[in-house]
Amino acid sequence: MEKAYQSYQKKIVPYLDGSLSKDEKSEFEAFVLTHPEFEEQINTKKNEIELLRNMIPQVQLSKESAESLESELRASVFNLLKEEPKSIFDSLRIKWEEFVNR
Amino acid sequence: MKRKDFYQLSLPLTEKLYRFAYTLIPDDLQAEQLVIDSINAYLLKERKSILKREVNIESKKDTQILRRTYFKSILKYLCEIGVRRSVQLTEHMKVLRPKEFAPFYSLDPKVRFVISLRYEAQFSVEEIEEIVQMPRYEVIEKIHNGRFLLLNDLNKGVTV
Repeated sequence: MEKAYQSYQKKIVPYLDGSLSKDEKSEFEAFVLTHPEFEEQINTKKNEIELLRNMIPQVQLSKESAESLESELRASVFNLLKEEPKSIFDSLRIKWEEFVNR
Repeated sequence: MKRKDFYQLSLPLTEKLYRFAYTLIPDDLQAEQLVIDSINAYLLKERKSILKREVNIESKKDTQILRRTYFKSILKYLCEIGVRRSVQLTEHMKVLRPKEFAPFYSLDPKVRFVISLRYEAQFSVEEIEEIVQMPRYEVIEKIHNGRFLLLNDLNKGVTV
């Protein structure tokens, strides 16, 4: 019994990491349902993960960077993705897009 | 798929890609360049498959699935190029490192990337395997090592 308990304890972090297999995951969840005190240990680990998240930089794009990335992306997409025209209208549309996005 | 559809689908990804680029190279311009280089590498390699794909741009569900697929695919290139670049810039990185994130930036670039994929973007281990092109055991090892080193650093800070 004690051994089983310890083995489930070891599975808390892999469970939160998403590294348990499907079977192991449902087995673990079933165990937690029958052992409500386990919930506290899971919460402690969840708090640890929250701390970890705060240690990872979450930068935001400045307005200038966002604009510059947008125009670079547009240029890349319209230069590197060359569509094959299926009709004369398609050909005109492609030429027009290329002209607008130069 | 038309290229303007691809453009519209991928535009909202740039901010997220930038965040990942910044976890590898903490410099605005370098991170921006890394995003563009990764998108270009992806477009050059996958051009045919992108244009061939039939997509219903009106369907919200289809669009979301496709956007996530593109996100993961571009991240694959971002990881490959960014890790290499980060190693090349090791000396320069010592100056760039933001002080408040020093413990994070003291980790190996690949560990940083894997940790961000797991805890910031909440990708599953299977998805991370696919993005970083590493076997499952290595991904799990990197997540464990990264978490251990970061929490250890945090505890040191608390006890001092």
